[in-house]
Amino acid sequence: MAQFLEQIINGLVLGGIYALIAVGYTMVYGIIQLINFAHGEIFMFGAYFAFTLVTFLNVPFWIALPMSMILCAVMGILIDVIAYRPLRNASRLSALITAIGMSLGLQNLAQLIWKADQRTIKSELLPTFFLSENAISLPSGAALPYRDLFIILLALVLMIALNRLIHLTKIGKAMRACAQNKVAANLMGIKTNHVIAVTFAIGSALGAVAGVMVGLREVIEPMMGYYKGVAAFAAAVLGGIGNITGAMLGGILIGLAEALGAGYINSSYRIAIAYIIMIVVILIRPSGLLGKSTSNRA
Amino acid sequence: MRNWLIGLLLISLVCVWGCDTGNQVRVAVAGPFTGSAAAFGEMIKRGAQLKEKEINEAGGINGRQLILDFENDTGKEKEAIQVATRISTNPRILAVVGHFNSACTLRGKTIYGRKGIVALSPGSTNVTVCEGSDWMFRNLYRDDFQAEFIAKYIKNKLSDLTSVAVFYDNDAYGKGLADAFLGEAEVIGLNVVATESYDRDNTDFKAQLTSIKAKNPDIIFISGLYSQAGLIVKQARESGITSRFFGADGVDSPDFLEIAGAAAEGTLLTTPFTFGAGGERALQVAEAFKTEYGVDPDTWAALSYDAVGMIAEAIEKTYQQDASLADKRKAIRDHLASLDTPEEGYTGITGLTYFDKNGDTVNKPAYVKVVKDGKFDTAEMQMLE
Repeated sequence: MAQFLEQIINGLVLGGIYALIAVGYTMVYGIIQLINFAHGEIFMFGAYFAFTLVTFLNVPFWIALPMSMILCAVMGILIDVIAYRPLRNASRLSALITAIGMSLGLQNLAQLIWKADQRTIKSELLPTFFLSENAISLPSGAALPYRDLFIILLALVLMIALNRLIHLTKIGKAMRACAQNKVAANLMGIKTNHVIAVTFAIGSALGAVAGVMVGLREVIEPMMGYYKGVAAFAAAVLGGIGNITGAMLGGILIGLAEALGAGYINSSYRIAIAYIIMIVVILIRPSGLLGKSTSNRA
Repeated sequence: MRNWLIGLLLISLVCVWGCDTGNQVRVAVAGPFTGSAAAFGEMIKRGAQLKEKEINEAGGINGRQLILDFENDTGKEKEAIQVATRISTNPRILAVVGHFNSACTLRGKTIYGRKGIVALSPGSTNVTVCEGSDWMFRNLYRDDFQAEFIAKYIKNKLSDLTSVAVFYDNDAYGKGLADAFLGEAEVIGLNVVATESYDRDNTDFKAQLTSIKAKNPDIIFISGLYSQAGLIVKQARESGITSRFFGADGVDSPDFLEIAGAAAEGTLLTTPFTFGAGGERALQVAEAFKTEYGVDPDTWAALSYDAVGMIAEAIEKTYQQDASLADKRKAIRDHLASLDTPEEGYTGITGLTYFDKNGDTVNKPAYVKVVKDGKFDTAEMQMLE
């Protein structure tokens, strides 16, 4: 029982992280129909920004986290302006190739700046709250580290906040309008490029949070964006690409499938099990769990 | 016509590149200089460079400068194939020191064998590395020896720890070592309660660790490399696992301590060599290393230092200026193959090295190290036959 409970916790933490990344993929796709492969690299840079700020510049963690979010948001906007905006009216394939190129370029840039070694943030530099010894003992002997609880709750809060932002604010309304029809939205006086920039900024900031969380729990390396990015992309597709609630749901499902699959079936196939679930769902519902089959996606 | 011209151009290029060897002999050193095994690569590079410097300061090889070409295989098979092809088709390179990761050496072996260039690995311990090739040698023990040693050590020297879990990296090194360990455990009656695996790309091991935790083993044998092992130890302590850890030579890197932090304390591991047991010459080299690079050398630096020395000696004894490239390369191989008895063997800082008919080194013992106060220390209990 304790084992099952702990596997569920592992799955929820992973799921929360995947959901945070997947939202970035899905928001951008919803608005400009582009699979932004560089998003995984933004996630990776988020982890490195926090690492650099905390380790070399002695910035307290609680300030480094929002700073990393802001840096990544700026980076996301820059990537859009430099790489994607000039191709806005080009074929989708050109934009896709550009995205892949951007992703590879950023991976190598990270290797140049921080070397290929694996990095961790030293535990002395983190709030004691994050130390692994500090855990809640659950009945039946399972342990829930505060850090993992924090990751799950933070993911949840950010998801709810994003949902409210999309549905209750003016910019959220503009984003939904752009997702439905960019040309019509523009005719109604919405500055579409401005809205797209905000979309990149929000997605990138959430990706940065996920990056920092993975950095705390696992390790920081230039390839991390690729590994986690692919799983998160699968989550976005599973939930229905373009659908934000779907991305959250997909993230949690892939996370749970990975943890339970590794724990009870075979740990060598952890990612394969998650993919099999995604493929089965796509076969039954080609537009994903919550995706609509029409072209109107928000 | 055009093809013919390109061919002519290529031939003339090879001549510019190959005919002008001047007063040098070149040896390639192939290893993971970046990537998740980069800490090993760095030590191999430094150990090799130290020997290169010593040889050249002492007048080179028969008056010729020794030049080492470092080729980065990033620890991946795909890259290893490219690197091995590049090395073996370079007419200036006479021999290879490398590779490090067993999977890479296995890939390289085929290519080196086909092209007829000798390779001496200072780090690959997978059982099959030297099998079926006349051109592959290594100067350290094999995993079957290492795994049996670890199983026996746990059984005999850690007799209060009765249940064992095995957590292995799903590649040539990790799986080979784990299989040999499980075989020996069965023979000597060691109680294995759980077997789990992971892939090199993983950084989150919580799911497997949770399964291991449910079996409550006294000791966990991690059959893999330092970067994953460091994370495993760290994440295990986070999950409330209190078992001790035992690693093999793949964990023997200062970076393991860096990644695992305080969780590394008490971890045991086997290694082909420790400077503490190496005698006076080894300590002198360790000191020269520290002066040169500012850090202490590790096992891999020592083995790569010796491997370069061994190849240099073979070149010195066999080099003939007028011989063809193939003959030069073959003479080096023949010399290494002739070192097949303790009397013929090469004495380096890691002890005596000589080869059996496969090209394996079978005489070198395993040492046990323990993490104490955040540093590697030679364990009090050794098991030298």
